[in-house]
Amino acid sequence: MTTRCERVEGLVKELLITASTTFRPDQYRAYERAIARETNPPSRWAMEAMVENARIAAAKRYPLCDDTGIPHLIVEVGAEVAISGELLEAIRAGVAAGQRALPTRPMGLMGNDEQRIAQSGGVSSDPAWVVPPAMLVKPIPGDELRITVLMLGGGPELRSTTVKVFHERNAEGVIREAGRWAAEVAAKLGCTPTLPCIGIGRTHYEATTMMLEAMQEGDLDCQSEWERIVTEMVNASGSGSLGLRGTVTALGCFIRVGPQRASGQRMVCMRPGCSVDVRRATVTMRARELA
Amino acid sequence: MPRDPPRLFAKGACEAVESLSIRTPISPEIAGNLTVGDAFALHGKILCARDAALSRLVRMLDTGTLGDLAEHLKGAVIFHTAVSDAGIGPTSSNKVEIEGSIGPLSAAGVRIHLGKGAISAATVARMSSAGSVFAVTPPATALFMDKIVSRRILAFPEEGMEALFELDVRGLPGIVAAAKGASIY
Repeated sequence: MTTRCERVEGLVKELLITASTTFRPDQYRAYERAIARETNPPSRWAMEAMVENARIAAAKRYPLCDDTGIPHLIVEVGAEVAISGELLEAIRAGVAAGQRALPTRPMGLMGNDEQRIAQSGGVSSDPAWVVPPAMLVKPIPGDELRITVLMLGGGPELRSTTVKVFHERNAEGVIREAGRWAAEVAAKLGCTPTLPCIGIGRTHYEATTMMLEAMQEGDLDCQSEWERIVTEMVNASGSGSLGLRGTVTALGCFIRVGPQRASGQRMVCMRPGCSVDVRRATVTMRARELA
Repeated sequence: MPRDPPRLFAKGACEAVESLSIRTPISPEIAGNLTVGDAFALHGKILCARDAALSRLVRMLDTGTLGDLAEHLKGAVIFHTAVSDAGIGPTSSNKVEIEGSIGPLSAAGVRIHLGKGAISAATVARMSSAGSVFAVTPPATALFMDKIVSRRILAFPEEGMEALFELDVRGLPGIVAAAKGASIY
């Protein structure tokens, strides 16, 4: 008989593979709109190749991108759900099982602190050596346990920023500042169209977690006015797909705003997602399924 | 299906250009004819390397210790990618160790540097004087899977996925992003 932890481990294994190999329907639709709008044939060709890549990846369970990324976990726990350390360990075991089954890219470094920084202790051949950072665990109402796996690739991390912005009592000014960052880095990113994900909070940690929640919840079919503003700012750069010039440099934008404090500054995190972002998958379980 | 290799696309003022089938090793004449916007499909053996292997190659070049690897660089394509069971796909060519390798390796005979992301005007100039080009390719790992005929490690196996690999490819696509002192950036 399968135990509760075994079931969770199996579900998380499938989540990781789904997140790594599958475009969501809103991603496909965003690409369809972008390809129809793109006026420069090389950029259009690049996006067509990205869509075909996604279809093959889903059909054959190949990674969308060879940089399969660092797994990040968001665990939302309903008030009526009891979780244990054993269950959290099962989630981590599910990640490792998914990494080995796909397989994801073996890029975890071995050795002590100095060796890992200097990359002098060798690279593990085990994909599961790429361990996730600490889970983000959040209380939610009700009787559901929701687990989200996000796969964060290295290219966007190179161009991400988390820094203070003086708001000067102008919310749109803060959004436009983040939009300027996204537009500036689009050409350097290379893997465009980009998907800027922005979090705004009181601390660097909170801004980053808000950015992760934006990645978790964002919908390319349902863009807010601020998200459209950022998208238009990035598209105005003319960088295009793969930097080949064109009308579409951003597919959209995801923004999440957290609690704020009385102060002249806001902490803003901007991660310029790449052409396969956001790689995510979520599973929801009811408390009775976990009994 | 996407056009693979891309068959037609506009160049400059709507001038149509056929894509090129390029077989490695690449002669100086073929590399010299490539211009910004040219689409191509690569066939034959290419090198794959990124941060770790490229910086080691440059150090060996500087110290005259390349040995047999020197021959592999002549007329070569270097794809800026890791190689693993997760596949291949372009990494950012503007990372310091990767972009820093483009000039020296061009002088050593590399003809096409394949990757992604804007590179500097100084790097474009160094490539131009050495007769090499920079090209970009989509992050289409699943699409590239059946374009790999074989793979082997040429050097630095201890670097794992960042070792220097040689791949035999059929129809790996790219578009020239910088050549002859001009670039799309």
